[in-house]
Order: sequence, then C-alpha cells, then structure tokens
Amino acid sequence: MNDFFTVSIIIATLASGIRLAVPFLLAALGEAVGQRAGVLNLGVEGVMLIGAFSAYYAALETGSAAFGLLMGLASGVAMGLVYALITVVMHAEQGISGIGIYLFGLGFTDLLFQKQVGTPKPISGLQAKPFDWLAEDTGRAGELLFSHTVLTYVAFLLVPVVYWLITRTTFGLNVRAVGENPQAADTLGVSVNGIRTAAIVIGNTMAGLAGAALALEIGIFQQNLTAGRGFIAIALVYFGAWRPVGVMAGSLLFGIVSSTVLQLQVQDVISGSVSSIANMAPAVLTVIVLVVVSRRIGQPAALTRPFTRDS
Amino acid sequence: MLEMQGITKRFPGVVANEDVDFTVLPGQVHTLLGENGAGKSTLVKILYGLYHPDEGSITFEGSPVNIYSPSVAIRTGIGMIHQHFMLVDTLTVAENVALGLGKPLGLANLQPIRRRIREVSEEFGLHVDPDTYIWQMAVGERQRAEILKALYRNVRLLVLDEPTAVLTPPEVTDLFVTLRQLTADGRGLVFISHKLNEVMEISDEITVLRDGKVSGRTTPAESSRESLAMMMVGRPVEFTRTIADQTPGEPKLEVQNLRVRGDRGELAVHDVNIDVRAGEIVGIVGVSGNGQRELAEAIIGLREIESGQVNVDGDPVKTPTPKHVRAMGLAYVPEERMKYGSIGDFTVAENLILVDYDQAPYVRNGLLSFNSIEERSEQLVGDYSIRTPNTSTLTRKLSGGNIQKVVIAREFSGGAETLLVAQPTRGIDIGAAEYIHEQLLIQRSQGKAILLISEDLDEVMALSDRLVVMYEGSVMGRVSREEATIEQVGLLMSGVGELEISPVAG
Amino acid sequence: MKPRLVFKLLLALLAVFALAVAGCGNDDDDAPAAEPAPAPAEEEAPMEEEAPMEEEAPMEEEAPMEEEAPMEEEAPMEEEAPMEEEAPMEEEAPMEPFRVAVVAPSASNDLAFTQSMFDAVNALVDSGQIAEFAITDGTFIVEDAGAAIRGYADEGYDLVIAHGSQYGGPLQEIAPDFPDVSFAWGTAVDTFGLPNVYSYSVRSDLGGYVNGVVAAQLTESNVIGVIGPIEVGDAKLYVDGFATGATAQNPDVEVNIVYTGSFADVALAAEAAQSHISAGADVLTGSAQMVVGATGVAQENGVLWFGTQANQTPLGEDIVVASQVYRWEVVLSQVVEQVKAGTLGGETFIMTFEGGGLDIQFNDAMDIPADVLASAQATIDGLSDGSISTGQ
Repeated sequence: MNDFFTVSIIIATLASGIRLAVPFLLAALGEAVGQRAGVLNLGVEGVMLIGAFSAYYAALETGSAAFGLLMGLASGVAMGLVYALITVVMHAEQGISGIGIYLFGLGFTDLLFQKQVGTPKPISGLQAKPFDWLAEDTGRAGELLFSHTVLTYVAFLLVPVVYWLITRTTFGLNVRAVGENPQAADTLGVSVNGIRTAAIVIGNTMAGLAGAALALEIGIFQQNLTAGRGFIAIALVYFGAWRPVGVMAGSLLFGIVSSTVLQLQVQDVISGSVSSIANMAPAVLTVIVLVVVSRRIGQPAALTRPFTRDS
Repeated sequence: MLEMQGITKRFPGVVANEDVDFTVLPGQVHTLLGENGAGKSTLVKILYGLYHPDEGSITFEGSPVNIYSPSVAIRTGIGMIHQHFMLVDTLTVAENVALGLGKPLGLANLQPIRRRIREVSEEFGLHVDPDTYIWQMAVGERQRAEILKALYRNVRLLVLDEPTAVLTPPEVTDLFVTLRQLTADGRGLVFISHKLNEVMEISDEITVLRDGKVSGRTTPAESSRESLAMMMVGRPVEFTRTIADQTPGEPKLEVQNLRVRGDRGELAVHDVNIDVRAGEIVGIVGVSGNGQRELAEAIIGLREIESGQVNVDGDPVKTPTPKHVRAMGLAYVPEERMKYGSIGDFTVAENLILVDYDQAPYVRNGLLSFNSIEERSEQLVGDYSIRTPNTSTLTRKLSGGNIQKVVIAREFSGGAETLLVAQPTRGIDIGAAEYIHEQLLIQRSQGKAILLISEDLDEVMALSDRLVVMYEGSVMGRVSREEATIEQVGLLMSGVGELEISPVAG
Repeated sequence: MKPRLVFKLLLALLAVFALAVAGCGNDDDDAPAAEPAPAPAEEEAPMEEEAPMEEEAPMEEEAPMEEEAPMEEEAPMEEEAPMEEEAPMEEEAPMEPFRVAVVAPSASNDLAFTQSMFDAVNALVDSGQIAEFAITDGTFIVEDAGAAIRGYADEGYDLVIAHGSQYGGPLQEIAPDFPDVSFAWGTAVDTFGLPNVYSYSVRSDLGGYVNGVVAAQLTESNVIGVIGPIEVGDAKLYVDGFATGATAQNPDVEVNIVYTGSFADVALAAEAAQSHISAGADVLTGSAQMVVGATGVAQENGVLWFGTQANQTPLGEDIVVASQVYRWEVVLSQVVEQVKAGTLGGETFIMTFEGGGLDIQFNDAMDIPADVLASAQATIDGLSDGSISTGQ
C-alpha cells in the first residue's frame, strides 16, 4: 500500500499515462485543425475505429506493422474526403453527420472484423522503441522519456508541427480565417470549401492514425476497440481551447489520471468497491474543466456553420 | 470607368433590380441613394460578384467583364467596404490583408505586407498599426483597415456600403477626407447612404433607386434634401418638425449612479444618472456599443445591475424583472424588433397582446378570450395604421416599418406613463419613421415621459428636449435642444470634451 | 433529399472501403481453409470447440466483399440470422426439427462469454440434439436484444436463449406472451416464477479458485495481478474465487485487483496489465472480453496468464497456462431434453465441475510441473466433494 510513492512506481504510472494519452492526443490535434476551420466532426470515434481496423487487418494479413500504419492513414484520408463531401459540399448538418460517421465506423468495423478475422488474433504491432538505448543510460527519467514506441514520439512531435502549421503558414492563416469569418475569407478569394476540405482531411487522417496507434500498440482488434476515446478527444479540443499545447495538456492529464487510478488499485489504495467511482475520475475531471472554461475562449466563431455565399 | 447597363436581378417574388443603368467616372464619388429594399445592395453585390445579374452587362475601364466571384472583382480592380466589415476578428491587420495572398502551401511571410501597409497608410493618412488584432480596434479603425485591405490590392473602384452608419460625426469628417484623397488619386467611388446631409456633402453625382428602378439622377448642386427625399419615397417628406413648448412635470424615470456589466464582464455602464420627467423626451445619443443597449436592458430588468438604482414613478425598482418593472408603469420598445420586440411566427394579434396576454379581458378563467383579443388588435391596427392583410397574418411577413408599428402600438397603448424607446426607426422606411416620430411627439404632448435611445443623431436632435451623450459607458455631456449643434454633440460622441450645458439636466 | 444523399454516399464509401479491404485480403480468399486458424492443429482443444468455426469459415469467405455493402444497409444484426440458418445439418432434421435461437451481447467469436454459448449450441447441433439454430450477437443494447428475443419467439423457435444477465427485464415481459415457447436466461438464478423460463448460471469462482491455486505455485515474485471489468456478476465471482484460491495456496502471495470500469476498453486493460507488471506481478489473469489487451502485454513481458470463459490459449501460446472453460452444452442438453419432454421451464441450473459443465483446460505447449497439475486436480476434487470452499 505504501509502495505507491516509490520513484519507480511513479515513473511507471507516468509512462503509462503518456501511453494512454497518445490516441487522445493524435485524434484531438486533428480535430482541433478541423474545428479551427469551422468544421465539427463528431465522428472521430468512428474514423478511429476504421483506422484501427484497417491498420490491424493490414498488419495481420501482411505481417507488416508499417504497412498497417499506412493503411490506417489511408483510411483516415478516405474518411476525410467523405466527411468533406457530406459537410462542405452538401452542407449537411455537422452534428448529425458526425454521429452517422460514428455509427458507420462502429458497425462496419465490427462486421468486417467478424467476417474477415473472427476470433481476436494477436499481431506483432509497432513495438519498435527508437530511443530505448538512451533509456538504459539515463536512469529513471530516461525510462520515462525514452521507453516509448515510435508513434508516441510522432504524436508529441505533431504538437509543435500543428502549432506551426496553424500559426506560421499561409494555409494556417486561411484555416483560422475560414473558421472565424468565412465570408471575409471568401471576399478575398480564399477558397473556403477548399481550405475546409483540407482541414477535414488532415483531421480525419490524424483520427485514423490515432486508431492505428491504438491497434498497433496493443496488437489486437476487437469490436468497439476505441471505447469512446474519439468522443473524449472532441471534449479535449474544447478543454485545450483549440490550441495544440492545450490539447496536449488535456490529453496528458486524462491519460495520467487514468493510469493513476489503475495504479492506485494495484497498490490497493483504492479497493474494488470504490474503483467504479474512481474510474469515472477522468470523465468527471473533463466535465469540471469544461464547465470552468465554459466561456469558450478561442472557439472559432463559424464552428458548425456551413458556408454559403448568400448568407 | 464603370458602366453597368440594363441590370435586372429577380429573386423569387421580387424584382430587386429592374433595368438599372449606373456609371462611375474616374475621380468621382457617385452616390447610390435609396430606402432599405430599394435595390442598392443588390446592385453593388452584382458589381462585386456576390450575385449574378439575370440581364444586363458590366464594362470596366473600357472592356466588358464577367464578375462571377469576389476574387474576380478584386482582380479586376473593384473593391468593396461592406457594411458589416469583412475582417477576421482574431487575426491582425497584416494577417487580414495577407488572406488570399501568397502561395497556399508556403510560409505566411508578413514582413513585406507590414511594410507595404505602413506605406499605404502613410500615403492616404489612414492610421492603422499592422500588428493590432481586429478585435482590439474601434469601429473607425476597423473601417480604415478595410479600406487599407482594398488599397493594398490596388483597387481602382471602391464601393462603400453605408460606411458612415457606424461612425461618429468627426470620424465621418475624417472618412470624407480620405475619400477625397482617393478620388484625387483618380480612383472611382460608389457611396451608399440614406443620410441626406452626407450625400449632399460628399457626392459628385447621385443616382436614386426606388423599388429596384432608377427614380432619378442628379448632382448636389441641382438638388436639395427635400428633392432627394421626394425621389426616394415618391412623395413629399416633412423634415422640420415643430415641437410645442411645454413645461415638464414630475420625474417619472430616475436612473441613479447606475453601473452595469456587459456581455464580456466589462463595465458597460459607468455611474450614469438620468432623469426623465413627464411630458419630455430625453434623447440618449452615442455611437453603437457605448453602453446604450446595456443601460436600456438594466432599466427594464433584463440585465443585472451591479450598483445604483432605478426609480419608476418615484418608487425604487426592488425586483428588477421585466414583468415587475412593466407593472410599475414602464413600457419598452427594444432595439431589435424582430429579435426582442416581436415573435415573427406569431400573428399580428398575438404580438399585440404579448405583454397583456395574462390580463383581463384577454384572459378569462385561465383561457384566452379570442374575441377580446381580436377586438383589441383590430382597434390597434386601425389606430396605428399598421398595414397588414389582417390581424392573423404572421408578423414576419410584414415590412420592417409595420413590424415596428406593431411593437409601438403594443407598448404605447398599454397605459404606461414612462416609455423606454430604443432605436425606433433603425432600418425602416422614411414614411414609417416619420409616423413613429409623430407618435412619439403625441405621447409627449399627452404627458408621457420618454427616454429615447438612438444612434441616429438627426433623429435625437429633432425630437428630444434634452440630449444625453454617452461615450464608453459614461455620460459625456448633457445638452438642451436649443443649445445643441451637430459639431458639438459629434465631438462628445467621440469622447472629446465633457460638458454640462443645460442647467435643467438631471 | 439531403439525408438520402448522405446515405447513398455512405453506401458508396462502404463499397470503396470493402474493395480496399478485399484487396488486402486476397490471399485469404484464395486459400480459405489454410489461413484462418493457425492454432487448431497444435491445440488440445476438443472437437466441439473448433469444428463449428471451420465450418463457418468457407461459408463466409464465399460471399465476395462487395456484396456486403448492401448488407450493412439494412440492420446488420438481423441480417446475420438467416445466414446461420443455412447452417449445417438441415438434412438430418427428424420429424419435428428442434430449433434454438441465441441472443447474446458480444461477438460470437469473442473468445469469452458469447463464444462459450455459441460453441455449446454448435456442440448440440453436432450431437443431433438441435436441428437448427440462429444467433443474434453483439446486441449490447438491451432494447435491441428484447426485439430479437420477441422476434425469435414469434417465429416459433422451440427454445430462445437470452444469454446475458441484463436481458432479464425484456424476458420477463416477453415470456408470458409466448407460453408455448421455452426461454433460457443466464447467467442468472431467477425464473421469475414463469413456467416457460429456465435460468442458468455458472460457479465461475470454482475455476477461479483452481486457477488461483495453480497461479500461486507458479509465481516467483509472489505478486499476482487480476484485471476485471466492473465489480459485478460473473466477473466478480471469478476474481474473488481466484484471489481466495491463490492466498489459500500460499498466504505470502499478494493479489492485486484492478477493475477498469469497462468491458470494452482494451487499451485500458493493457495499461492495467502494465501497472501490475510495474508493481512486480509475474502472473496475470482477468475476466471479460477486454482482456485481449492484457494478454498482449503479458506476452510482451513474458508474464504468465490465466484465462476464463473460453480457452484463451490462441491469445498467447507461450504464456497462457490454463483457462476455465464453460461447457454450456451440459446445461443446454438437459434443458433441450426437458423441453422435448414437455417441461418448458421453471428450473435453475448452476454449472460446476460435476457433470463437466466447468473444465480447466491447460495449455499443452506449456511445461507445467506434474505436481502442479496434480494439485489442480486435487483442488477440483476438493471443491466438488465440499472439502474446499471458495467462500462464495
């Protein structure tokens, strides 16, 4: 019971939190890009599932996790184009279309899994740890920083990349303009639909990557593998006030709270009967933070509003 | 420079433009004048590529052009300053200017853009800092940023859609200086307005539209306010009103040291004191967003009062809710008739009893009495000459002026002795505005106390016994009608000087 | 107009996606028999376990992927039923073919709860006790399950199995409407006093106890980790039985228990396993379908695993020591015979080691010391004759 405060347990718990944060981070970063362009995608969960299944199945069939990763990304691109067609070209209501994408992803991946794979079969996922050699020389801090798989580093590297994309590039400037005041961007010759489509594809690709990361990290697929992570990712975008660093902070907080609850149970600090309440901690925390930051500072003004020229 | 010939644009059920010819010469300010719905906006939206004409042709600088989108318009050399600014609030001026420029996948390099912005501002005396965020800027500055955006793209014809609507008189003067610099540079300007004084001042040529058709072409030298108004409305319009002298009575509405917070938590109304007595109209004037809306909402009980007090008919308001305040004898004409003043999907009759629906004789034993409601609404429709097919017409189908008459009829007929009236004539036709002004004066002569809040300086100066000028939530000055001049009130509206002229001001 | 467009679009996407996946899986289509199960050959698992699966495989492979698109368009759940109806043994039908339907919450091949029943029904089909059966699986939404139960009863199935304790509510409403149809409900011990409802349950704590006894002998660190979903029902029974067995065998063993709060969250189960390992555990076990995440972690770290509900050896041949397996066919066989004899319900069956309803299946590929195997058998005997109690 008193073991909990030993350094190695704390390091292990933090490392576990970082691993749990990765799918949130990837999906939420992508969703943030889409939302900055004014498009809400409630279907992140569905796209994650499709990404996860594509990656898993491709890796299972070919034995190559890298190929699986590629298929996860490709499925994200495909879903992005579909979602852009639905919301940007056809101006469908974003909330409802997103739910549709979710239900589609949930049912479709389950169907394909049952028909093509059947029983859960383990695959060798992406277990490569590029900095593992550093971990041995740098002690416990090294273990925390260098013991992760490739996709973990990719996810965290994408934080500055997305920040740079949004704040420093012409594309990012257009994304921000289109999400705030599409009419203004339109009058200056910015292709509102083009920019939104690109942002959606980026967002969905990252959701696909998030799903792929989940499946390849665990090395298995199962019905509803993502277990609601896509929805939490959407909440984390609000939590992070549409900023990459905020999204990262939220993802880490969520991951670490989850891993801490697990570790507290292992250490018997929390007993089984309390655990069902403790397990809600991350969700409760999110709700509290969302309430506290309810002013929605930084919410793109044109979020969920389809763009038409005559309005 | 620009020739639009035979432009016709139809919308379902309406002909917005019918065979309109419109020509602008280089170095000229050509005004488009007309009431709301006369077709000015449609015409310039066609020019800017937002609408496509059903018939007609456009020639720009000698060659025919097909402007099918705003970016084509910009490339052609036509720019537009929209009434609602086309600026992204969360971006800086430089970023707004940079939009649509540069390679789509490149880095946003703002350095040259900043430099050029400084050059252009220098050249035309537009003081704009390229690194300021739009949301930090005052309205006048935003407009300069808009003009800058167009000049950066080197437009040779600039359309300004009601550019003065949001400006204080001194800002209007500044704007006109800038506009003259632009024409001196050989650029053509299309100026849209319905404020006749300004039109007379700035225009080289005037084209008047009525019901989608050109109803007259003239120049300031050949016309007068009266003749222009005649062309706009189609009948003579009375501009000067004689207001009978009368001695005000008891204070009916007293606002004491009122402090109110705005939507974003800022102090929107700052220690304001106002008295309105029976038989007088007190006008509150100021540029939009200087605390007038918050003041009105606090008085009627829609907005929390941080400190201070409101007295109606001598009694302090203890329960600040609209129902309670109304019961104390205050009627309220809100500033947005469609959003707060009426319910578009209700019938005229329903809107007319929206306040009294729970009072006898409209309700008996908990049930609405349709006969009484019908009787009452028929009477009001007649009294206030509301033009509606019948009392069961949906309110949103009426014209703006008639919707406002419905609101006025409801509020003025309820027996309240104090009237709080906000922006009563914004966006409605001259005829209806005239009628409403008349009604306000009738109420005054009946001994009602009226607090009139308006951004239309002409309106306030024509009707009020006393003027209270608000700037950034505070009272900048109080002036009696006899002493007020446009220049002096204009200065107060822009926050310059503080004066207390009228000894009767409360 | 718009919704329909969206719908068409989804269908189009589905077709595209199906093509892509079919592309990936081409090898599979060419050699359906060779690919699907690498495991069965080495496995000790009895015929009933694997046979039905293999029979299924070719059937499903025949349908080209593209054709699945329209299938998804209608409710996919219902769609599966007719497919299964074409199932084997129709020609064997006696005078009055006995028809059974199953409604279950997770996938029929989940290597856990639903699969245990799926395998059992298939076993009875093989033995000829059942002529025909249909299954609606994946109905984790109780209302959907209710609709399926009523549908099967309406179609005149002789026995409708509501395989999920959460289905009690709908069943209680539906059963009285079909007095000629027999219903079986589990895991539960309540027949609502209805004459046409059987209930069935399993003492999963018994197998848990045996697994615990074995685990306590194989651990070297004396730390064992348990991963449960939510602290209720079958999972709680197993977890508690396991902990009791492990500490009974060796009081020095520390059993750490984590409930993840979810039956579905595979990633959280994986991290729970990581947490156990970081706390020193070298033996893990867990209940419910999300444990497939934990077995991967166990495999990666070379930590032993004990399974329950189905034989989990395929999830990790190097690490799975033993699995508690439910043989519902033992109960089911009795139910079927009683229904055939005209008794439609009113009885509760609880499976134990006696009669073979519970079984501990060891992984033959593992080198398990003979004395450990012997102690397992001794424990089973002790639990059966009452000399050992799990405390439940």
